[in-house]
Amino acid sequence: MGKLKTFKGGIHPEYNKELSSSKAIRPAPIPERLIVPLSQHVGAPCDPIVSAGERVELGQKVGHSEAYVSAYVHSPVTGVVEEIVSRKNFAGQTVTCVVIAADKEQADFPKRSGFALESFTGEQIREIARDAGLVGMGGAAFPTHVKLSPPKDKPVDTVIINACECEPFLTCDYRLMIERADDLISGALMLKKAVGAERVIIGVEANKQDAADILKSKASGTPEVSVELIEVKYPQGAEKMLIYALTGRKVPPGKLPSEVGCLVQNVGTAVALFEAVAWGKPLYERVVTVTGPGINEPANLLVRVGTPISVLIDACGGYSREAPGKLIMGGPMTGWAQEDASTPVVKGTSGVVVLGKEAGAVVEESECVSCGKCIIACPMMLTPNLIVRSAKRGQWDRAKEFGALDCFECGCCSFECPAYIPHIKYVRRAKSMLATATK
Amino acid sequence: MANGNTLSVTVSPHIHSREKVSNAMRDVLIALIPVTAVAIGFFRWDAVINIAVCMATAALTEVVARLIARKKITLNDYSALLTGLFLALLLPPATNWWAGVIGTVIAVGIAKELLGGLGRNYFNPALFGRVSLILLSTWYVWIGGGGFKGTINGVTSATPLFYLKSGATGVRPGYLSLFLGNPGGSLSEVSILAVLVGAAYLFYRKVITWEIPAAIIVSAFVLSAILGMDPLYSILAGGLMFGAFFMATDWVTSPSGRNAQLVYGLCIGILVVLIRKFTAAPEGVAYAILIMNAFTPLLDRVLLPKKFGAVREST
Ligand code: SF4
Ligand code: SF4
Repeated sequence: MGKLKTFKGGIHPEYNKELSSSKAIRPAPIPERLIVPLSQHVGAPCDPIVSAGERVELGQKVGHSEAYVSAYVHSPVTGVVEEIVSRKNFAGQTVTCVVIAADKEQADFPKRSGFALESFTGEQIREIARDAGLVGMGGAAFPTHVKLSPPKDKPVDTVIINACECEPFLTCDYRLMIERADDLISGALMLKKAVGAERVIIGVEANKQDAADILKSKASGTPEVSVELIEVKYPQGAEKMLIYALTGRKVPPGKLPSEVGCLVQNVGTAVALFEAVAWGKPLYERVVTVTGPGINEPANLLVRVGTPISVLIDACGGYSREAPGKLIMGGPMTGWAQEDASTPVVKGTSGVVVLGKEAGAVVEESECVSCGKCIIACPMMLTPNLIVRSAKRGQWDRAKEFGALDCFECGCCSFECPAYIPHIKYVRRAKSMLATATK
Repeated sequence: MANGNTLSVTVSPHIHSREKVSNAMRDVLIALIPVTAVAIGFFRWDAVINIAVCMATAALTEVVARLIARKKITLNDYSALLTGLFLALLLPPATNWWAGVIGTVIAVGIAKELLGGLGRNYFNPALFGRVSLILLSTWYVWIGGGGFKGTINGVTSATPLFYLKSGATGVRPGYLSLFLGNPGGSLSEVSILAVLVGAAYLFYRKVITWEIPAAIIVSAFVLSAILGMDPLYSILAGGLMFGAFFMATDWVTSPSGRNAQLVYGLCIGILVVLIRKFTAAPEGVAYAILIMNAFTPLLDRVLLPKKFGAVREST
């Protein structure tokens, strides 16, 4: 095998995918009460359009916003709205949530049948994506319809399906590739149609050879879809790194992929788009990998949005040790540590990772020893050590010069840092200071 | 934590390479084993005593300095012990033990702890201590006490550098002897082979990268040739190899970015040759590195890497 394509920088963490990679997707239990945040995405939060006491049907819209950069929210169950509350989300922000008591009996979603892609225009697909409340399901949760409408002067010729799943531990996308290969390819073709692109490239990390083989055989009759194996390295699935590895194009700092004629969507989003277009199904459930050394029976679960993660932990045999050290929503590199297990799953939740005591032990950050390991690791070619130094001194302009605003918080720098410096803490501080400064 | 909550909530990432500063320092200590062993093999008790005295003094100085400053004792990061060993290796074998003590106190007490400890020091502590001793000894001949220029084990006082400067080739040690083992100069200058074995370990453990040593060696080689000095001799003699792989690569006092590292190494190589050519100072490598230490923050700030996708330097 020749040398696989990739990008410069990055890290090689232990992937630990084997904990859950062989576990077929199964539905998670539906809890009695679901807490559905009205802001699960990047952009304007939705307003509730239901009130306490009202009956809601599965898939009924419960949150709406007139803002373009926003994503509607739908009821994940049939049941009764108990109350509208404010509570903290996974990232500690206060958001409005619709609390729904689920009926004991839940019918399956009434899928529309007789789908033919030819009967949809690109315009219609974009509309459907918006109506279904689609967001990027890799974690960033950017509204899909916005991404599907690039500026007119920046035509997109290449749709890239991010099938890297470069975060350690997570296997939800891998399972979708294995179990839903046909739907994934259909979804990819819909994305292609929506932006009028010429080709689709599915980029798969080389540690998922079997998934790539399945996709290749399924796509063999569709010449505009190609499947490419790329090097196993974190963060290979980051938009800019992936575009570069697959096409050799570099998205300039501060610019979007459309700048170089690309659209990147992850596996989960492509499958969700398929379900929305072909079945008329809005985005109210997703696959979540529940895993880690701290969980008894790791699994890939199909979870209704709004399900507290405690329900998922119980469904996976509970914690494997007396007390878990860290409970992470998302992957271990970019996910959010939770204070407790009451946090509800949202559209962007790709995993729940339970780490043991060692990971929970807080190692105090020490003085930067200027080893340069963070610089070597940074895929954006920034100087994370200097960003931190500037932030500590309150020199925000300097922090910007060193790349604070170009940092996409992949965490490679901190992973390698022998002084255990939490760079992202300082980057976020710099970002918010710079944002208020320009207001 | 309050309410019996044992979950740790910190910013991402939540996994780590598990490398620690102390691991790296320990690696450098390990990498110094060949050099130290060769030094002891050649100089016996002279080397043993110097090394023991300097390391013990370094540990003691760090503890006292930290107690005075009411800071946590950080002996377990090995950095003080390392400074002690480095200083001992930079001294000629016949140095009086109390000169080693003074140098170490200056290195650890002033160059490192007074500036705020590991990570905040601008100058390589061991080199700072070494050069301080040289300067002091010119003012107070009694510190030198015959140690710096004395004769030991029958080798003449002329170090290999002497031959480089004078151009006399008849009696100087050959290339091979410089490479394998030739007692002259400081403890660390005995064997290039020992230096390279240690350096290979540092590369393997990813403690150092190639930029700084390569830039130093190449620039010193080329400039020597241009100035009509024997280029091969130039890089084999006078602790240049030891300086390039072990001293100039010191994390804290060298640049962290690749471009800055290349320029830093280049300047050190040039300075070494110029100092050797135009001054009488025997410690060109030490001076050159210390001078460039002072420019490290500037180099790092000015020679930033090109951001991913940047067409040209923005602003
Ligand atoms: S500075 Fe930002 S982009 Fe660079 S490695 Fe760190 S988190 Fe990633
Ligand atoms: S990895 Fe950590 S210690 Fe090394 S230069 Fe970067 S911030 Fe400093």
